[in-house]
Amino acid sequence: MNSERARFEAVYRETYGRITAYAVRRCNSPQDAADVVAETFSIAWRRMRELPDGEEAALWLYGVARKVLANHYRGENRRQARSVELDAEMADLYGASPDSGVELKAIAQIFRTLSDDDREVLSLVAWEGLDRQEIAAVLGLSRNAVRIRLHRARRRFARALAEADVRFMAESRLIPAERSL
Amino acid sequence: MKDIDEIDSITRALARVDPGQPGGRPSDAGARTLLASITAEEPGPFVARPRRRRPRRLALGLAGAGLLAAGIVVGPSLLENGVSPSYAVTKNSDGVVYVRVRDFSDVKGLTRQLAELKVPAMVDYVSPGKQCQEPRGTYVEDIPPGLYSVPENIPGDPGRGWQMRIDTKLFKPGQTFVWTISEGHTSTILMDGPIAPCVPEDRPEPKEIKRDYRVATLKGRSLAGLRVDEKTVGEVLPELRKRGSKITYLVMGIPPGNPGGFGELRTQSTPVGDDWIVWEAEESIRQPGVIRLLVTDRRYDRNPVYGGPRDDVIKE
Repeated sequence: MNSERARFEAVYRETYGRITAYAVRRCNSPQDAADVVAETFSIAWRRMRELPDGEEAALWLYGVARKVLANHYRGENRRQARSVELDAEMADLYGASPDSGVELKAIAQIFRTLSDDDREVLSLVAWEGLDRQEIAAVLGLSRNAVRIRLHRARRRFARALAEADVRFMAESRLIPAERSL
Repeated sequence: MKDIDEIDSITRALARVDPGQPGGRPSDAGARTLLASITAEEPGPFVARPRRRRPRRLALGLAGAGLLAAGIVVGPSLLENGVSPSYAVTKNSDGVVYVRVRDFSDVKGLTRQLAELKVPAMVDYVSPGKQCQEPRGTYVEDIPPGLYSVPENIPGDPGRGWQMRIDTKLFKPGQTFVWTISEGHTSTILMDGPIAPCVPEDRPEPKEIKRDYRVATLKGRSLAGLRVDEKTVGEVLPELRKRGSKITYLVMGIPPGNPGGFGELRTQSTPVGDDWIVWEAEESIRQPGVIRLLVTDRRYDRNPVYGGPRDDVIKE
């Protein structure tokens, strides 16, 4: 039991930054993000047996967080393991970003018109920096299915941007690509 | 269509937390509170296990219905003695024995009960201030983890006796659990082979240890008002440095199951990791400004210094 606890604590320390970032990037309010983080790790503790080791733990947790997020907005989340401090720490992450430039706001609006599935696959690439194999693990799909989804999502996003005639900010303001797919 | 890199850069720019950057820090107060509240419950595997086993249990139930019903074996003498025995020894069907001792002088009763439950044990009572002359046999060095728990209070009845848990499956042939009990003193030693009878001798007066350190965070002490318990070393150090403290570390050894209490693995002035956990700060009695942090390399479910939250013990 203590070894389980030690293992969980190690995974928690290792993945907390990424899971909170995942939640904060997708939730409209710090309270929602705190809920998602709390619920995700609670589920992980209850399902320790399934929690994989090493790098795979983060992918597995992303998958859990994704389902928690979906349920959260369906109002099925009743657990409130979060605390005032956690809310405040999440709120800190909302203060600094994102860039509130006009163009970015317009782009964000268009991004939000995409389907949940399109947004998720685009975000997992661009925000979490995952490759196809990793996304396949998170979403429980085959690598090929991810490739097709990603291709279609990019196409739909590009088309929506073109239709809205959004002009792009200087390339230098964008974060350089770390990985190309 | 815009090229892939462009679409991805546009998407990246929308991230509230920059790609590659972490969100919260696991050392933050909220993160630690969350971790503690989650792990305060039993983890999943222990809860989920019975459900997975249900089909097998059904089959067992058909094969020997009487066996499951008698999951706990109670020594006959316990039944004879009535409701409030000086000893209570129970044995689960999985071989785990629970011993509760309330009356320290009825050794025969306890010995009989243990023998009935086939626990290889030898029990001696010595009057206060005495001990059995050692060595009485060969000490087992390699004690399997989980063989027994350290004696602890009987829940709901603190101060009157103690209880412990023994997993009889883990005894190797020829091993005996040698108990010497007395008021306020219990010794439990696992021995191998023949064991000499107890020859009582005077127990040396516990040497008066000249205390060098005392808790520093109490009223009137050098760190009065400062709380360091359950924080990380990284969180505590800046404040101590600001106060100009000279810092040493007592690395605590925590017994299995963290029942409360700790041993001293070593004391060092070499810094430990920022993510180590501080459980209390002590000050040197003779050298003002020297602070010794009681630390472990990982977080435990409760403060080993106080056997629970500091607030439950120290009321100021």
